[in-house]
Amino acid sequence: MHDIIRQLDEKRAAARLGGGEQRIEAQHAKGKLTARERIELLLDPDSFEEWDMFVEHRCADFGMGEQKVPGDGVVTGYGTVNGRLVFVFSQDFTVFGGALSEAHAEKICKIMDHALKTGAPVIGLNDSGGARIQEGVASLGGYADVFQRNVLASGVIPQISVIMGPCAGGAVYSPAMTDFIVMVKDTSYMFVTGPEVVKTVTHEEVTAEELGGAVTHSTRSGVADRAFDNDVEALVMVRRLVNFLPPNNREKPPVRPTTDGADRLDYSLDTLVPDNPNSAYDIKELVFKVVDDTDFLELAPDYARNIVIGFGRMEGATVGIVANQPLVLAGCLDIRSSIKAARFVRFCDAFNIPLITFVDVPGFMPGTAQEYGGIIKHGAKLLYAYAEATVPKVTVITRKAYGGAYDVMSSKHLRGDVNFAWPSAEIAVMGPKGAVEIIFRKDLADPHKIAARTEEYRRKFANPFVAGSRGFIDDVIMPHETRKRICRSLAMLREKKLDNPWRKHGNIPL
Amino acid sequence: MFKRILIANRGEIACRVIRTARQMGIETVAVYSEADRAARHVALADRAVPIGPPPSASSYLAMDRILRAAQDSGAEAVHPGYGFLSENAAFCDLLEKNGIVFIGPKAGSIRALGDKIASKKLALAANVNTIPGYTDVIESAGQAVEIARGIGYPVMIKASAGGGGKGLRVAWNDDECREGFQSCRNEATAAFGDDRVFIEKFIVEPRHIEIQVLGDAHGSCLYLWERECSIQRRHQKVIEEAPSPFLDARTRRAMGEQAVALARAVDYQSAGTVEFVVGADARFYFLEMNTRLQVEHPVTEMITGLDLVEQMIRVAAGERLAYAQEDLRLDGWAIECRINAEDPFRGFLPSIGRLVKYMPPAELPGMVRVDTGVYEGGEISMHYDSMIAKLVAHGATRDQAIARMREALNAFVIRGVSTNIPFQAALMQHPRFVAGRFNTGFIAEEYPHGFRSEDVPHDDPALLVCVAAVLHRRYMDRAAGINGQLRGHERRVGPDWVVILDGAHHPVTVSNIAGGQHVAYRGEAYTVLSDWAFGHPLFRGTVNGREICLQVERRNLVYRLFHRGTQVDVMVLTARAAELHALMPRKPPPDLSRFLLSPMPGLLREVTVAAGQQVRAGEKLAVIEAMKMENVLRAESDAVVKQLLAKAGDSLAVDQPIVEFR
Repeated sequence: MHDIIRQLDEKRAAARLGGGEQRIEAQHAKGKLTARERIELLLDPDSFEEWDMFVEHRCADFGMGEQKVPGDGVVTGYGTVNGRLVFVFSQDFTVFGGALSEAHAEKICKIMDHALKTGAPVIGLNDSGGARIQEGVASLGGYADVFQRNVLASGVIPQISVIMGPCAGGAVYSPAMTDFIVMVKDTSYMFVTGPEVVKTVTHEEVTAEELGGAVTHSTRSGVADRAFDNDVEALVMVRRLVNFLPPNNREKPPVRPTTDGADRLDYSLDTLVPDNPNSAYDIKELVFKVVDDTDFLELAPDYARNIVIGFGRMEGATVGIVANQPLVLAGCLDIRSSIKAARFVRFCDAFNIPLITFVDVPGFMPGTAQEYGGIIKHGAKLLYAYAEATVPKVTVITRKAYGGAYDVMSSKHLRGDVNFAWPSAEIAVMGPKGAVEIIFRKDLADPHKIAARTEEYRRKFANPFVAGSRGFIDDVIMPHETRKRICRSLAMLREKKLDNPWRKHGNIPL
Repeated sequence: MFKRILIANRGEIACRVIRTARQMGIETVAVYSEADRAARHVALADRAVPIGPPPSASSYLAMDRILRAAQDSGAEAVHPGYGFLSENAAFCDLLEKNGIVFIGPKAGSIRALGDKIASKKLALAANVNTIPGYTDVIESAGQAVEIARGIGYPVMIKASAGGGGKGLRVAWNDDECREGFQSCRNEATAAFGDDRVFIEKFIVEPRHIEIQVLGDAHGSCLYLWERECSIQRRHQKVIEEAPSPFLDARTRRAMGEQAVALARAVDYQSAGTVEFVVGADARFYFLEMNTRLQVEHPVTEMITGLDLVEQMIRVAAGERLAYAQEDLRLDGWAIECRINAEDPFRGFLPSIGRLVKYMPPAELPGMVRVDTGVYEGGEISMHYDSMIAKLVAHGATRDQAIARMREALNAFVIRGVSTNIPFQAALMQHPRFVAGRFNTGFIAEEYPHGFRSEDVPHDDPALLVCVAAVLHRRYMDRAAGINGQLRGHERRVGPDWVVILDGAHHPVTVSNIAGGQHVAYRGEAYTVLSDWAFGHPLFRGTVNGREICLQVERRNLVYRLFHRGTQVDVMVLTARAAELHALMPRKPPPDLSRFLLSPMPGLLREVTVAAGQQVRAGEKLAVIEAMKMENVLRAESDAVVKQLLAKAGDSLAVDQPIVEFR
């Protein structure tokens, strides 16, 4: 008995040391924390329950038999974030470079299975050189076991990936299937094939950072939802993200008490939309002024900036916000913004998070790049996402709602529950100028006539009343009362029940 | 008394005139350009008349339009405010011809004082001190010495053709004068081909001190003490105060009497200002007289208790002044800070845009006054002056006035456009300002390389540590208030934290008490009470009973605190997290690309810079039209343009380079 306890202590000490002092120092020298240090920062103090500390790999080839480290390169278990249960795995780069062995994968699968059973989020802290090559296909099988669980958990429990080191090859596909990817600048990268292979195959010279760094993925590819300066910042921000999320798809989003009044008015919003319909304004000002305590967690802030997505709270409860951004590309919908918003809308719908949509959209982006890129199918994703969503949907049209984009942006026709318009709203097939040039083509030579027709069109259609007369708009509201009216609408919708017809799954235009 | 007056101005001064008129029971008519349709003065006035497009020349300076507005609205009189038409004699004549009263001096007085040389002659005739000098041709060094002796050393020898400081010599004795005359003349010949030089008294450490006068149509004329306006940046007044920390009673009276003498000489019937330059030797010399209400008039109002706009209106209506010189009070001390929409950290570049937040400090009668021309949600346009408000503080003593001003600046929240508030706050902390030891060169001497936030070290870092700790504790407690926690395993926020300020770790203990927190820091106890609400930019409360007011912002890990002109980023972490955070590499600021890239596909409307040009951060570089909207691209930092890679009319792809920088 005494011997067992001594062995236990030794094994624990060995596990805690991971790859040893030297490798820990090397990890720190790179500006990275160790797997356990990261967990400490992510979870509430003293809340981590570690499992499988004694798991070791079963490989005997290539001298691996002599190299065994308890835990086998990944720390797994559960704990709490602000008292709420989460499961976590954290890859240990100091042990075999965090390479994934069969046993390593089994540890991850075990906590994922538990997360599904108990209905709690899974947070993966990724820092791995890739497959444990010595194990060959066993390692590949391990990846696939994780992928399969990612898919089964998708839409059931929130899954968050934090990329805190290398993540290459097949390993990228596990994070890719999770709900959110957070990266750390300068110390993390993700790519399917690395710079060397790229060079051999396509003759492109590119650094790992350029190819798949945090900046690349948060601005160019849209793979990452957020990029942070260092491990500490990333983990603290993940805690904030978790505080917005429900634990699973059967529960309502969490409520955090607030002192911000549901009836708070903000008169500065009355001048937000400029007089000139061609002038831009920052839709984020509206978002910040509407949500509780100006607390808005934006996702993908630097990618497809013509649409703004993220989480806020109204009367303490989480809401998802989607807003066209007139500051960028006039707020039009294009391939990237459609995909960005569609995925967010589907996440919110899966997890019972009400959607608030602020609309100022002049239409879809024209051009060969968009058409050749398949804007038809990609734009349809957003349309599909809004149309299938059954969560409470409140929409406010602040200015332009033109053409097909009007339909897409959570319109009444897509089962929008409450659709408001500001007095500056223009709900029409297109802008007055374009419309007149088509309807009155024969008058094009006469600028006076065109001007008069444009004015006539503007008077008739560039207002919220035509849509209002058909009931497409439930009410015209003053900008300053936007928060109050949304809060009331959400309160009214709190017990909303709406089901889609039974099916195996829909066929979203992928 | 008038029933209705028109205010031919905009911004804070129009609002300020409306305020007094309303108190007097006079109806007000505002005028506005197209850019000001939604301006504050328009909303405040009883009625408002549009007078044209944004450029001042076609609106606020368009005499015929303003006259028509006055006639159409039935205004009996026009108050011009300052600037625009306030010192325009032709406008006075025009109004008079049409039977409308100009609330200001008579056209004759404006004309007489409008010309610098003529007004100097007037001043000489009225026995007002003028800067001694000799403007005729000086033939020899010997003559120069004779003249200099007559004027009294030190003297300034300057090339007649030179501008600014070019070819300027200062001589303190005969030898220097001889030498200076020779070298100045040689230099003038070489530089301008004109060897004429002149000699003038050199004012050592000059201060700008001006006397407020007030006259009526019945022969009465008073001086309302002085204002000191020596704190200037590039000849623009930044801070004004009354009285001056420099004058003694005797000099004050002498200056006042000379100012009144000059005003009487031109039969001055309104509020006006006689500007003097005062040397370190307390000798003073007349500069010019401003025949209008000055921007800085509130400091005079605060110490005299008079309303200058009211007095102007009464005088214009023919009333007698109700006071004699001996009735006037000089009560306490008043300071005014001009709040300008400009970025002090970017070379005071004007800042335009939307006022996302605008929360001036609360007005306290007799203590804090805010003259403001804007409102939250309003727009600062490029068409007019960058001054958006004036903050005035009064106290029984200068120190008290400074203390109140500091607090008022702390509480002045403006977001959306940059303002000079941090700079003003820094000035209010500056030992030389606090001691009253300054002259018109103060800002140039103390901030030779512009203004940087690190110029303002905070004098009470413990306060910053405590407030950050309290903020963090409250945020943590709130986050832990979320529902859905594991029963029996709820999050309990602990009291021990580490505040990281400027890289130094400060361990603190923060515990909750009724209405606030108790902070233990370095063996000291701080009780912080505050009703601050999450997300609110102002953290007001008390620390150990002392009132505090800081501006706070949360950005990811960092709390950004603004206090007394200092801006600091503070982090609050657990001891363990702080230890781990110390392992994180310090990253240099991101490498700003040498290229300006098109952020969107669109049509390049214009490139506003040329190769070789030096551009400042925030400066406009190019305009791209996309989706029929104009997008202005601005420089992210100071740079020199190497070459242009696209030209107006080009259609651009995303990320296509437009400008390359050196």
